[in-house]
Amino acid sequence: MRMVYSPHPVTDRPAALCRKYLEGKDPITGRPFLEEIVENLTRPLAEEDRKGGFLKREPRPRLLAPDTARNLEKLFYDSDFTDGMPVVLPTEARVAEMLKATSRKPDELVGSMRPSPPHEAWEYTVEMVAVNAVMAGAKPEYFPTILALASTGVTSLFSSTSSFARMMVVNGPVANEIGMNSGIGALGPLNRANATIGRSWTLISKNLGGSGKVGETYLGTQGNPLSYNNLCFPEAEDGLPAGWNPLHVQKGFKKSESVVSVFSGWSMSDIAWYSEMPIHQVIRGWLEHFFSFNTNAATLILDPIVADDVAQAGFGSKEAYADYLAKNTGTPAWLYWQNRENELKQARAGVEPYATYLKMGPGTVIPVSRYSRESPTPSAFMASKETAESATTIEIVVTGGGTNTFWSGGDFSHVTSTSVDQWR
Amino acid sequence: MKTGTGCFLAGILCLLSFGAVAGQTADEAKITVLNPRGIQPPIRKIPMAARPATLDGKTVYIVDTKYPRTKEFVDELVKILKEKRPETNWVLKEKFGGYMDDDPKLWAEIKEKAQAAIVLIGH
Repeated sequence: MRMVYSPHPVTDRPAALCRKYLEGKDPITGRPFLEEIVENLTRPLAEEDRKGGFLKREPRPRLLAPDTARNLEKLFYDSDFTDGMPVVLPTEARVAEMLKATSRKPDELVGSMRPSPPHEAWEYTVEMVAVNAVMAGAKPEYFPTILALASTGVTSLFSSTSSFARMMVVNGPVANEIGMNSGIGALGPLNRANATIGRSWTLISKNLGGSGKVGETYLGTQGNPLSYNNLCFPEAEDGLPAGWNPLHVQKGFKKSESVVSVFSGWSMSDIAWYSEMPIHQVIRGWLEHFFSFNTNAATLILDPIVADDVAQAGFGSKEAYADYLAKNTGTPAWLYWQNRENELKQARAGVEPYATYLKMGPGTVIPVSRYSRESPTPSAFMASKETAESATTIEIVVTGGGTNTFWSGGDFSHVTSTSVDQWR
Repeated sequence: MKTGTGCFLAGILCLLSFGAVAGQTADEAKITVLNPRGIQPPIRKIPMAARPATLDGKTVYIVDTKYPRTKEFVDELVKILKEKRPETNWVLKEKFGGYMDDDPKLWAEIKEKAQAAIVLIGH
């Protein structure tokens, strides 16, 4: 296929700037953009262009050539097998030890993964996932959780010029069994299980999902620091207020099942606000004015003492609080009008309620929630497996040590949840 | 007597073997590791369509894959092509569905009615 590139981005750029791009040069080839289009449409085909058949792929030996540890470590860096940090070399003995933690056969296919929907999908076996789990520094007992994660086929390094982040939440007995931390510092680099399970997702995405090749399958302009361990943590199920279901139960699993849930977004802020205002109202205020790349979905990670405060304010479930938030948050006017060309035309023509909204002025809040399922979710196309429809686009998870009234909020959406038990 | 010689020989072999390992540092010992890469799929190459020698008098489809919020760019592209190459019949078509959905009907229409096509891809 012959390609011509325009300067980027072209999203929301005015016509005059688009014309400048079109009259300018292809930033990759340096050639005049329009001339290049015409030439690509008329230049005779070369012999190679007429060929069918199959693209030649590199052979994939199961074992790499024997070498010293030092040379192999260099090879792993040079071959882009790592996340830039040292890895544990996947010797046959270490991989065999990892494989003992599952009843699945080493050559069984786990799934397929691609950098984004138009990309090619790579496939991988149980053994290949084990290799990457070893490299991440995971213990064998973490392996069923890592296999479950790999089976979702969701890459942690989505190919987009925006720098996606992922989040994974572990629920059920497995979290305690393998020593994950849902207490003090749950979201920090303080626990081997949280750290290496999350890290393994990055290595799996690179090595088994073809993702993360800078300039080819990774284009995120700034990258995302959350990608180092993909916000991997367990929910503090013991810290949930009475009546609040853990995340996996919300997604249709039994409480006794072990489940990994995958989220997609871009950013997460860690917040506390000391005032006389009840915390459930503080969060409402934040959510109303919260602005990030995805403006129509939010995930709240509440410390158990924040969850208790919210519950004591009368919210008997996560869903009840999410409904309250969706019903009691409006949209800042400047943001409301950004993607509503049709409504703006109607407002100018005097059609209600848009005419009233417009009269309210740019500094006000329009009484339309961004977090109702009825609202558009322009970023939803990036999430590959949207499941579990609920009334709002707000997710609530509880984790933390109860040492302060902090909570985290960001633009993450739930993508999928899957059983860990099936990979034991 | 036979047993004693056996033990003596085994002892020498053990010493020789220990000597070989002791002479090699951990950094120099060769190890074997598994390949961390997954399985790349076979990719079928589709031969390119024959190119017209000129675009004069030809119909060229411009396919808008509807990448979010790029309408200004698409409209400007069509406008500038019509201005600068009026001898070509430029036809703008919106592809079915989102920008990642296939549209076999449109591809068939292009084969039937056009001599070339420009497909806009965003990321």
